[in-house]
Amino acid sequence: MIMHLLQFTDSAFPVGTFSFSNGLETAAHIGIVHDADTLEQYTRSVALQGALSDGVAALLAYRAAKAKDYDTILQVDQEIMLFKMNDEARLMLQRMGKKLAELGVKLFKADDDLFHRWIADINSGKTPGSYPVAQGIAFAQAGLSEEELFASHQYGVINMVLSAALRCVRVSHYDTQSILYRLSADVPKLYERARAMTFRDMNSFVPEMDIFASMHEKGQMRMFMN
Amino acid sequence: MRYYSDSPKVDFDSMPEMAPYLEQPEAMYVGCPGKHGYLNLGFELNSEGKSILRELDRRAPLIVQQELYFDEELPGLPCVYILSSGGPNVDGDRYVQNFLVKKDAMAFVSTGAATKIAEMKRNYSGMLQTITLEENAYFEYLPEPIIPCKHSRYISDTKIVADATATLVYSEIYMGGRKYYKDGELFQYDILSVCTHAERPDGEQLFREKFIIDPRDNDLRLIGQMHDFDVFANVVVLAPKGKAEEVYAQTEPFYDKENRLAAGITHLPNQSGLLFKVLGMEPGPVKKTVREFASRVRMAVKGKPIPAEFPWR
Repeated sequence: MIMHLLQFTDSAFPVGTFSFSNGLETAAHIGIVHDADTLEQYTRSVALQGALSDGVAALLAYRAAKAKDYDTILQVDQEIMLFKMNDEARLMLQRMGKKLAELGVKLFKADDDLFHRWIADINSGKTPGSYPVAQGIAFAQAGLSEEELFASHQYGVINMVLSAALRCVRVSHYDTQSILYRLSADVPKLYERARAMTFRDMNSFVPEMDIFASMHEKGQMRMFMN
Repeated sequence: MRYYSDSPKVDFDSMPEMAPYLEQPEAMYVGCPGKHGYLNLGFELNSEGKSILRELDRRAPLIVQQELYFDEELPGLPCVYILSSGGPNVDGDRYVQNFLVKKDAMAFVSTGAATKIAEMKRNYSGMLQTITLEENAYFEYLPEPIIPCKHSRYISDTKIVADATATLVYSEIYMGGRKYYKDGELFQYDILSVCTHAERPDGEQLFREKFIIDPRDNDLRLIGQMHDFDVFANVVVLAPKGKAEEVYAQTEPFYDKENRLAAGITHLPNQSGLLFKVLGMEPGPVKKTVREFASRVRMAVKGKPIPAEFPWR
């Protein structure tokens, strides 16, 4: 089991997390994030937002996949996309979701048809195919636990920012690993909040990040996708 | 049955974020007369094709008098100010506001002064709001800021039902608190929970935005959140696709470190419109930025700008 958890969480897992910076590129470019302390603040905001929106969606999709409740999987997929307020976020969720779904079809061939059905619906445009939903299905099918899913989700969110930071902020690997280690300590508390939440409770308040993302979307910087 | 039915019960008690704040106030009980504001405004074209306020139904403490036509750029635009005879929102207050703009009509609604959410010991203040826009309807809602005082609790739910040909500019400006009161009262409120969601008349869901700010649980001063800004504005624009694209193309996001003002624009899900966010230090520059943006929307849809704000506002 723990091997599956490591595999799905590893940054080498081919879903394309390396391509996105969550607005960090702009925050670094205009000098708001410029050292280890400012990077930690930014990453903490990203982690909180991820936990209370995508993290909740992943947990809800996981439970639906466990219960073989396909309609709820589609509903979670819709709800999380309704909640994503910028093109970059929607693009990221859909690209990574589809990649994981394509991989899932190969990994879980023998199990059942959840991923097959879901990717058919993604391709026909019936459902958006978001990453948190793909994660939920994958973890349910691999027999991993909800806690493991949430931890893996948070690790992915934090690591995406920190990996991007190594390419656009003046920080060292020592800095990013220390930040990751500290932020990991918050994950159990965030899980306790996220696990009790439903669609209507998903929430996000990162206005400055939204402005960075908007500047990135309309700007000329193209080290990372938007 | 008419669109305006009896006011729905405003009950947010089941929302998890309000769970710590369900005690009855010691003074007047939750939603008692004078603490259950109710407002129905219905705009439509009269037989001469002029937009008028046809339906006006209100219950204290909300007050609306007749519509005025003071907009110099759009002299046919009925303008309405919402006032509250009760002063600030206090614990146990419940509000309902319904706005309907019928086919081809237009309207402008604002508030007479900032909405203060008073300090609270028990319970919370909540508002349920519905905005319904028929074909080609045009609605600007640009109220004064909301000021959540120390230990205040406020929750709102705004449901928008808009035809794909309708235009909405819906702005909310939140101050961090009474910035210049005593030693400064910023982000000392207990909770602010704001949900805005939209759908088409056939029920197709467009977007759902929710933020819960709990300053005691989370440091809003972190980079990415409020950082070192004190005022936050959120502007939802629903507009026919071509018009929204025009506004998007004309609106440049910026982060002005010197003047401490920043703004960003994104597309709402399902190509339904735009979302404009502003951060600043004082309400003046934030309001000005919001108004300039709203003016671009009016220009794209009505071919006219929004006139300069009155000097006393």
